[in-house]
Amino acid sequence: MREVLPRLDVELVDMPGTSCCGFPAFSSISSLGWYYLSARNMAIAEKLGLDMLPLCNGCYQSFVETKHVLSENSDLMNLIGAKLEKENLEYRGTVKLTHVIELLYDIIGARKIGSVVVNPLEKLKLASHPGCHAIRPSSLGMPDDAEHPRKLDYLIEALGADSMDYPEKTDCCGSMLATAKGQTTLTIAAEKLRSIGELGIDGLVTTCPFCFQMFDGRQSEINDIIDFIFETDDGEVEVPVFYYTQLLGLAMGMEPGRLGLDLNKSPIERVLDRI
Amino acid sequence: MGGTVEDREVEIVSLMLQRAVKEMATEVCEQCGKCPSACPVAGHIETFNPRHIVAKVSLGRMSELLESDEIWMCTSCQKCKERCPENISPYDLILILRNLAVRVGYPYPEGYDTFIDTVIESGSSQEPRAQRTRADKACDRSALGLPEVKKPEEMEAFRDIVRGFIRRGGSS
Repeated sequence: MREVLPRLDVELVDMPGTSCCGFPAFSSISSLGWYYLSARNMAIAEKLGLDMLPLCNGCYQSFVETKHVLSENSDLMNLIGAKLEKENLEYRGTVKLTHVIELLYDIIGARKIGSVVVNPLEKLKLASHPGCHAIRPSSLGMPDDAEHPRKLDYLIEALGADSMDYPEKTDCCGSMLATAKGQTTLTIAAEKLRSIGELGIDGLVTTCPFCFQMFDGRQSEINDIIDFIFETDDGEVEVPVFYYTQLLGLAMGMEPGRLGLDLNKSPIERVLDRI
Repeated sequence: MGGTVEDREVEIVSLMLQRAVKEMATEVCEQCGKCPSACPVAGHIETFNPRHIVAKVSLGRMSELLESDEIWMCTSCQKCKERCPENISPYDLILILRNLAVRVGYPYPEGYDTFIDTVIESGSSQEPRAQRTRADKACDRSALGLPEVKKPEEMEAFRDIVRGFIRRGGSS
């Protein structure tokens, strides 16, 4: 993000004093605490006069939902406002929230992205994973269609790769269940990875760090129990997982070392070797 | 002033619950089954079925729901909310039920306490920590050229406020 977006004329500013958005623990235990945490982050952006680019889908939806709920409930708005005052903050509800997919597709545009590609990712077949809270619920006006999201696919195609449709595309990564049901979390992610592997797709692409961590960071944990999950003898999922911006950086000709590829845990070499 | 704000909080939560229940009463769940067929969990855990949760709420079987661990099994993917032909949201019901269960003092997943305590302590759900590279080398934020994370400026006020929202076991 920090390396690639400035090259597309996006100025990134770190917001001091931000906190967790509250999802999913606060939304489950104290909805008011959730709205408070989300509102205080938006208040910091308003104070700085900046639009917000939440990188995580969970944060994005928390802000969108809190903004919506507070705009409809003046009692709640006053309550949150009184508490924010103690932190010298004020939330007015004027902040503009932008999702990463929206920034790339609707604001920058696939055409401009295509124009900066010097090293097209030809012959790569990739699967897009927009993630739940980038597309649902449609009642909150999410950045892409809830049942047939296409924007991340168009962005992948702008890099010269093929974006492959697959039945589990709009399915959850499972990570929000990690606290309560660890094994079910791994099973949900395993199903998606297995399907992608079986379809002969070269890799999975997302913009959400929570989903990325699930599919990339925890892929080895999934493999530790995969025979138990699928009742197989010698099963394995081996799916390279990337942030979209990592692939964009590679397609723009940037050095892998600048794109954090050292920190991906999934078997990405097989894709890097072909770029 | 603190006292009045706390009084208002209880009033507001009550209103939100009333509104949710009223919405439930005006929509009729046909038990069509779109929600469990969309649900990523229902296929794996037999005791979890969003359709049954809606039915139990409609029948007023609240304590059964509040004390069971089924309300803690949702991944929050919101496919149930998206696909319900009657605009009922099992997901939103589950969130309300979770909030209520905690208030009343029923058990909930321990991990949430760790999450919440870390937020109250540091502002974040996890303190920044070194990652391992593919070559298994430890790598912290400064090694990656990333700026230090700045915590909330008014940390004491932040902690008091956030702590005030957490009322486990009906001890308000």
